[in-house]
Amino acid sequence: MTSAPSPAPTVAPARARPDGVRLAIVQKRFEGVTRKMANTLLRTARSGVINTARDFSCALVTADCELLTAADSYPIHVIGGADLMARAMLDMHPDLKPGDAFLHNSPYHGNSHAADHTILVPVFDDDGRHRFTVLAKAHQADCGNSLPTTYMGDARDVYEEGALIFPAVKVQTGYKDIQDIINICMMRIRVPNQWRGDYLATVGAARIGEQEIMRMGRELGWDALTRHAQDWFDLSEQQMIDCIRTIRPGRARATSVHDPLPRTPPEGIPANADVTVDPEAAIITVDMTDNIDCLPVGVNLSHACARTAAIVGVFNSLPTPMQPNAGSLRRIVVHLREGCVVGIPFHPTSTSVATTNLGDRVTNAVQCALAAIDPAIGMAEGGAAIPPSAGVISGVDPRNGHAFVNEVILAGAGGAGTPTQDGWLSLFSMGNAGMPFYDSVEVDEMLHPMMITTRRLVADSEGAGMHRGAPGLLTEYRPVDCDFELGFCSDGTVNPAKGTRGGHDAQPARQWLAADDGTITPLRTSEQIHVRRDQTVVSYATAGGGYGDPATRDPERVASDVREKWITAGRARDVYKVALAPDGTVDAAETARIRAGA
Amino acid sequence: MRLSIDVGGTFTDLVMDRGGVLSMYKAATTYPDPVDGILDAVAVAAEQTGGTVAGLLAETDLLFHSTTRAINAVVTGRTARTALLVSAGHPDILVIREGGRTDPFNYQIPYPPPYIPRSLTFEVPGRIWADGREMAPFEEATVLEIITAMRAAGVEAVAVSLIWSIVNPAHELAVGRLIEAHLPGVPYTLSHQLNPTVREYRRTSSAAIDASLKPIMQGYMHALKTRLGEAGLKGRIFAVTSQGGLVDVDDLSERPILALNSGPSMAPVAGRYFSAEEGWDAAIVTDAGGTTYDVSLVKDGVIPWTRDTWLGTIYRGHLTGFPSVDVKSIGAGGGSIARVDASGLLHVGPESAGSTPGPVCYGRGGTRPTVTDAAVVLGYIDPGFFLGGRMGLARDAAREVVERDVALPLGLSVEDAALAIIDLATEQMVNAIEDITVKQGIDPTGTAIIGGGGAAGINTVLIARRLRCSTVIVPDVCAALSAAGAMMSELTRDFAVTAIMPTRLFDPARAQAIVADLTAKAEAFFAAAGADAFDKRIDLAIEGRYPSQVWEIEVPFTPADLGAPDAVARLVAAFHARHQDLFSFRDDGDDVEIMGWRAVARCRVAEESRAHLAPQPGGGPKAVHRTMTFRETGPVEAPAFRWDDLDPAEPVVGPAVIESSFTSVVINPGATARKKPSGQLVISL
Repeated sequence: MTSAPSPAPTVAPARARPDGVRLAIVQKRFEGVTRKMANTLLRTARSGVINTARDFSCALVTADCELLTAADSYPIHVIGGADLMARAMLDMHPDLKPGDAFLHNSPYHGNSHAADHTILVPVFDDDGRHRFTVLAKAHQADCGNSLPTTYMGDARDVYEEGALIFPAVKVQTGYKDIQDIINICMMRIRVPNQWRGDYLATVGAARIGEQEIMRMGRELGWDALTRHAQDWFDLSEQQMIDCIRTIRPGRARATSVHDPLPRTPPEGIPANADVTVDPEAAIITVDMTDNIDCLPVGVNLSHACARTAAIVGVFNSLPTPMQPNAGSLRRIVVHLREGCVVGIPFHPTSTSVATTNLGDRVTNAVQCALAAIDPAIGMAEGGAAIPPSAGVISGVDPRNGHAFVNEVILAGAGGAGTPTQDGWLSLFSMGNAGMPFYDSVEVDEMLHPMMITTRRLVADSEGAGMHRGAPGLLTEYRPVDCDFELGFCSDGTVNPAKGTRGGHDAQPARQWLAADDGTITPLRTSEQIHVRRDQTVVSYATAGGGYGDPATRDPERVASDVREKWITAGRARDVYKVALAPDGTVDAAETARIRAGA
Repeated sequence: MRLSIDVGGTFTDLVMDRGGVLSMYKAATTYPDPVDGILDAVAVAAEQTGGTVAGLLAETDLLFHSTTRAINAVVTGRTARTALLVSAGHPDILVIREGGRTDPFNYQIPYPPPYIPRSLTFEVPGRIWADGREMAPFEEATVLEIITAMRAAGVEAVAVSLIWSIVNPAHELAVGRLIEAHLPGVPYTLSHQLNPTVREYRRTSSAAIDASLKPIMQGYMHALKTRLGEAGLKGRIFAVTSQGGLVDVDDLSERPILALNSGPSMAPVAGRYFSAEEGWDAAIVTDAGGTTYDVSLVKDGVIPWTRDTWLGTIYRGHLTGFPSVDVKSIGAGGGSIARVDASGLLHVGPESAGSTPGPVCYGRGGTRPTVTDAAVVLGYIDPGFFLGGRMGLARDAAREVVERDVALPLGLSVEDAALAIIDLATEQMVNAIEDITVKQGIDPTGTAIIGGGGAAGINTVLIARRLRCSTVIVPDVCAALSAAGAMMSELTRDFAVTAIMPTRLFDPARAQAIVADLTAKAEAFFAAAGADAFDKRIDLAIEGRYPSQVWEIEVPFTPADLGAPDAVARLVAAFHARHQDLFSFRDDGDDVEIMGWRAVARCRVAEESRAHLAPQPGGGPKAVHRTMTFRETGPVEAPAFRWDDLDPAEPVVGPAVIESSFTSVVINPGATARKKPSGQLVISL
């Protein structure tokens, strides 16, 4: 079966000219609501993954569960999932009341993955009519998994994964906590006080969103707000139509392959995207149904992540940046299959790592397919997420005897080359789009018994291209005065980020433990390991793929890369076909000669 | 007598305080030497008051100076050739930054270059850990090689920022000694001395910015002192800082990062004065110029600070990381351009016509409608009395472009189109205010808002209504809020130390020692301020957080708190209260982790000025009627009053406009304005 937004009309219905003044003003106010929620959450959360890495999102949907705004949110978190989550809340709780709040992390009911705890608050008008739903979602430091990590890449199923699953469970009534739910979490989530602090912050953010919308409703009129949403969707759809009409028509398949894990096919997990651009109908279709079934590992995509990853690939590729909402999304059709590894999983399939790994592969495949259809759009593959430099460490801090579990976000993937620009260095992952903050070395050393000895970019690691990928980062760290556990589920060690349209592939990820006596312990793509006090974790994160033939890169950009030591002079000559004079400036005549002879 | 001089990009403003009466003068800013422009402004003042430049300067006891020179140097990249020395293994602190990205689907924006290029970044062997332990030894020989390389590269300034130098500065100090010995005369900045704060990116960024400004700012400050001295100045010169205070010009040469954003940081100083005059201890201070709209705050009589000041776009510019007055700045002002996009949506800004060519109504070549043009169309600004009549405005041209670019595409009348422009600009300004008030935990409802800047009067009443403020205050010096702020500011210096201390392991003796050390530094600062300094105060605070939070909040305390037997309980209680105040929740059961201790030393070098202009009544008829347009009324004949001629006993009921030589204040229908005997307007909504 397929899952797609309701069939999109091929001709936009005739409608009155939108009120460009009222729309602009009211939409600014709605975006102000999500921004205010986000500011509150950022400033008050307790775990590093939220307040240092900014791993959270805020969104609001209409009473009909249509996405109105997700300003400043991680793309993978809410673009294609906020509506599903709100719908699940309505289906399970037909008797919603003001003062209710719901804890939702079920990947089988529209959430991304179990580590993302979402608080949903329905917003009512003064007559008790449900008008909007606000969502605040935050990645938890721990979610009660069987091992101290939120990325259980090797889990056979949700039972081995072990996370507590809350399918839109009521957690507040009459603006007060239902203590039973809190008690369950306090007994099962590691660092329970940290979880409780994050929970308070997330509920606080959702309640601020509720208050703000109620204020707007009273001031501007509830019917006017509802009408605004419909007008805004129509306007966004029209912008999307105009945008798609500038793209060449065509159809292409691209495949991006995730590294093999235990119990997966030995050649890895392919993600095939069949993409069609139909400018006349102004529709882009992504068909993900021709893919293998779910696997007994933790990287299966949830429904929300499969849909969102495909949508993100389209939005990243458009010639004019567009905002995703229910209106613009009417013009993107995504076909998914039940029981498919990049589709709609059945319980108890594990989706522990759904927001990054295979999701990024889907996004990459869509981008490359679009690049094949039209040279002015699309982009190469971005690097892979969650190397050991972004792993979850846990143990007991010898300085205070306290247990700790946290994801350290020291480094992630490099970004992909695009038709117009080089890759973004601190991308982290496609689904997070470079929005996470990277940890401060000093803050991590203060909070955890660890020393980060190295964090630097790796010269010559980029996927070369007319627009090159961003280089990879090397991170080295070790425990101090103790051992600790490290969990990570990476990708890109076997399958580096690919270039497109003649751009080169990036250097792959690599990781190992280096003991002080020189012993090297190689590490696979996904591990849960013990790191001894005499060992250093060495993690090369993947670079981004290149876009276009490197021999067509602007020689001045190549000279600048050499001067700034992003690449060596040898690579400039061999790969980019650019010769430099001894003072580092471009030797134009020699460059022309090499490029002509290439 | 006191002078306050603000050297802007276009104009050099001079505010003169003679016996408690202010007067304002302007001259063009001069390039390459801005001191010429300063002397020009003094000459204008001398001419208008019937004196001489030498005479005025000889009469001047204190001269306050602020300049955009530092920020301009950073923005245009015309800073010194600066090298960066960092801990081995971490050469890319300024390249990787702290991550973060806006516009997630727009990959057309390039990754930003580091403040100091990698080619001028050097790695210093040695490593200190979080507890101050030396985990890898310092190697002098390598640093000597680096110094040789820096000399060969023609380096003009050096920033040194090593990991955990704030806990154990031995390696940073050793590098400093080697620079002194082997690169004599090359200015340098050590991160732990400039900005003792956890987070290597922020500390490194502040050190890099500071070092890169040293050569030009030291040269400039020296020239300023010398030339004003030669021209007859006998009094002291103080520089305005981003911390909303004053420092001796020599101190500014030592820490030129203080000069960044020093102008905007003075607006809340003035705002605090004017709100206090009306009995408010909290206020939103706005400063609306031609291209930017700055928002700052006063809370409990205190001006909040932040370390999150970006030079340029968030995540893509450079974070100063340096504690300074929290000012939120957006690209919106009188010059913001209005347009309608292909899908029929109205936009105002961020594109701006600036002051050159300026709005269409200026008749200087502007071709696209701006907020000021909309105000002219609506009758809010008198085309014949703009800048006191010194500049005529082209009303018909303004109407034409508003009609062409906004009214016709939206199918509106010209007046409705102009109202739409004002409404959208208002919404953007409200958004900026909400951003900073949320961050600082202030509910705008029921507060006062100070309208500063020449463009403030157009829509401050609308902004205040949207935010549910209760009062608008428009000072008579609103057009020079920053220069006026300098007149009432104090000599200020902050001292900080990182000393991590969870309250469950509170060590009273160590806490006392830390505070004694900070207090001693503050006393030394008072001693250096001179014998005339008075009203000396030391404000103490901890920077703390709940365990595993990473953003600290500042919580004030007193020496009495610390001396009490229940000192730790008092600190914890104060922390919970402050957290509740900022974020609407507290976690009573939890510990507090004290991360740092601060002392801000303040003293006065002169009595606070009476910050009001001498009125100049009788400049024309007391009131004229003209057609103005408001949402509530449509076109209506309404009075425009001369500010200088207003009688404090007679309230002005909207719709009306109150005009001065510097600004035009719109009193929307339903609002009532009163001129206070001191000169400012107080508007109730």
